[in-house]
Amino acid sequence: MHFELNEDQALLKSSTRELLESESPIAESRTVMEDNPDGFAKDLHAQLGELGYLGILQTEDAGGMGAIAFAAVLAEMGRVAFPGPYMDVAVAVRVLEDCGGDTAAKWQQAAASGEKIVVLARGENMTNADDTNVAATFADGRVTGRKVFVPFGAQADALLVDTVQGIALVERPDAGWNATEQTTLDHSQRFAAIDFDDAGELLCDASKGTQVLADAARRATLGASAVMLGCMESALESGVAYTKEREAFGAPIGSFQGLQHRAADMLIKTESTRSAVFRAAWAEENGEPDAGYVVSVAKAWAGPSSRFVCGQSIQLLGGVGYTWEYDQHMWLKRAKTFESFYGSTRASTENVLASSTHLNS
Amino acid sequence: MDLRLSPDAVKFRDELRAWLDENLERPYTEELLDPKHDEDSLVEVRRNFQRKLNDAGYLGMGWPTEWGGRGATAVEEALLRAELAIADAPQSPNSLGIGLCGPALIHHGTEEQRQRFLPAMLSCDEIWCQGFSEPGAGSDLAGIRTRAEPDGDDFRIHGQKVWTTLGPWSDWIFVLARTDMEDRYGGITFFLMPIDQPGVEMRPLKQISGESEFGEVFFDNALAKREHIVGKLGEGWRIAMTVLGFERGGSTLLPSAEYGRQIDCLVDALSASGEIERADVREKVGALIVENEVLRANGMRTLASVAQDLPPGPESSIDKIFWSEYHQRLTDTAIELMGPQGQLLVTSPGARKDVDWMYEYLWSRAGTIYSGSSEIQRNIIAKRVLQMPTK
Ligand SMILES: Cc1cc2nc3c(=O)[nH]c(=O)nc-3n(C[C@H](O)[C@H](O)[C@H](O)COP(=O)(O)OP(=O)(O)OC[C@H]3O[C@@H](n4cnc5c(N)ncnc54)[C@H](O)[C@@H]3O)c2cc1C
Repeated sequence: MHFELNEDQALLKSSTRELLESESPIAESRTVMEDNPDGFAKDLHAQLGELGYLGILQTEDAGGMGAIAFAAVLAEMGRVAFPGPYMDVAVAVRVLEDCGGDTAAKWQQAAASGEKIVVLARGENMTNADDTNVAATFADGRVTGRKVFVPFGAQADALLVDTVQGIALVERPDAGWNATEQTTLDHSQRFAAIDFDDAGELLCDASKGTQVLADAARRATLGASAVMLGCMESALESGVAYTKEREAFGAPIGSFQGLQHRAADMLIKTESTRSAVFRAAWAEENGEPDAGYVVSVAKAWAGPSSRFVCGQSIQLLGGVGYTWEYDQHMWLKRAKTFESFYGSTRASTENVLASSTHLNS
Repeated sequence: MDLRLSPDAVKFRDELRAWLDENLERPYTEELLDPKHDEDSLVEVRRNFQRKLNDAGYLGMGWPTEWGGRGATAVEEALLRAELAIADAPQSPNSLGIGLCGPALIHHGTEEQRQRFLPAMLSCDEIWCQGFSEPGAGSDLAGIRTRAEPDGDDFRIHGQKVWTTLGPWSDWIFVLARTDMEDRYGGITFFLMPIDQPGVEMRPLKQISGESEFGEVFFDNALAKREHIVGKLGEGWRIAMTVLGFERGGSTLLPSAEYGRQIDCLVDALSASGEIERADVREKVGALIVENEVLRANGMRTLASVAQDLPPGPESSIDKIFWSEYHQRLTDTAIELMGPQGQLLVTSPGARKDVDWMYEYLWSRAGTIYSGSSEIQRNIIAKRVLQMPTK
């Protein structure tokens, strides 16, 4: 039994940290959020493709690196509140592989290399991101319907649309998507509502598509939990560092027991989220029968925990914690927005209850 | 990463399960409900089961084989404790002896001491209790005032110990006492003392549950023999700290296994009443399961590092705070969700009989106090892990 990353995974983690430190530290995440109309740096996305990051969830034969590597990379991205569709594209690449066929293979290659942005367009319910009922249809070579909260949908080159008939691929029309930006608390996580009445191609029928999408959803749930873990790590480190510098009443504020115990609680939440996320990643990678269960555990735990840690990081800083200038809000916003998507806290909790072995027996 | 049990560990667990099927007559909660029992006879139930465990080689798991232990791995020990909890087996009445005093003797004792004390500890012929805390010194343990005065070759002990678990049933006590009143740490010595002697008075203390599982001990010129000092004069603090800090990971899987059983029983109760269908109930029960699974994940992670002989990191303080505070939330919520039935004492007609919820509820208040309170654990995390400044 051991909990550490293996050599390859550890190397991937440290090189990801180096890459982000040099190419996209949190100051850069802020610049992108404020100034970049796409909400992400295209050249860096392409670089991630060249380096193999976007294909990380593919099967091993296709160049994938597994769920543990995926979680480790996303935790690094959470640390700098990395903006962009990285996770969504990585999940979509695997969906394309699972669908199979020539068209899917072509787009799989294009998305994995970073040339094209492809993401899933699934939910249709404005008040429940976990609702998998769809009304969108594929008929006579056309996709019609409305999808909401499509991550980076407006920027996508193609969308994998969940329809009654199965998973259909729609290429961006020449006139562009019929999209409405949906700006959320986390400004750097771009979403769009998209109305479809476009030519498309069915990649796989509903009977197969259901499983493919369930697998995709589980991977996204794991990935989102890892992002939240990264947000917590940074919020904790940065908050505690501040308590060692800042003085009040003639002493560093970190010497006050009230703040020490708060920080200890932040560490407990952060480390226990790490345990839960990597237990889930391990189960996913090894195809353990309880993978869905432990992935939901991780997400249901990461939600409230990250809210606590990122919120308390603001509290540790006092007034400056409430400024746009300090980074604290970047982590809080990412964590809070992710709580409602990719398997909400509520749905993940219900999933845990429903699939707890005892209840099934 | 590899969180799978090795084939050897699986084999160990399967054999243990088979053994428990054969040898555990009935769950401990059923013993509790048997009107023939009182507190004394329940201790005998625990003693007898410990003897069976010992005969089968399931006791002193981490002890070297030459002292009757099993020399087992940390993973095996963790599995044993988890399986015992799942089976609701009687708990050892000698856990302080086996868990603390035994290792102190193995690491710091003399050959004579080991020969004299270890076998009877395992066979449960002698029950041991821990005499560390005093009315004036608990969290601040080095503040103890119990003193040991030289008397020829031996020592005479004066003072008081308190919160002495299983004291009323114990034969021996290991005591921290001062051989130097000034030297805060270097003045403390580790003594082994028989309780049945003039000058030792053990009084039961009634706990919030109504039982008297712990007591207070008064020493008035009680005899402590020189040959029963562990280590040297003045080494008591160091020995106590190494023994207390000596976590082999044996209890990493225990809390989540124990609470998992309690959650299963809660779900049974809520399924029987139909309340489990209610959305608000599902949300609360779901959250309890989530948290217990996180506890399990923490336990697996700690065990994984112990299993590789990595130094136990901050995990032990995290785990302690997590399980003890979670148990309070679990029992609080469970009783609330079970409604009026949840308020019944386990002995009352109509009560759920699979968990003694009232006892668990009250007992959960102790976990955040003993073995380093939650506040002390948070101090440790802030100072040693987060390296926050002192004033
Ligand atoms: C069920 C049970 C069984 C026990 N069994 C044994 C036994 O077998 N043998 C034995 O020797 N002892 C035993 N103990 C005693 C236990 O170790 C002490 O109760 C514990 O160390 C706390 O000490 P105290 O009771 O003196 O409380 P205090 O130390 O007086 O603490 C009171 C409160 O102050 C807080 N506090 C203290 N110091 C600090 C600080 N620096 N910062 C912040 N908060 C602080 C504590 O957390 C607590 O909330 C047992 C206790 C219980 C409840």
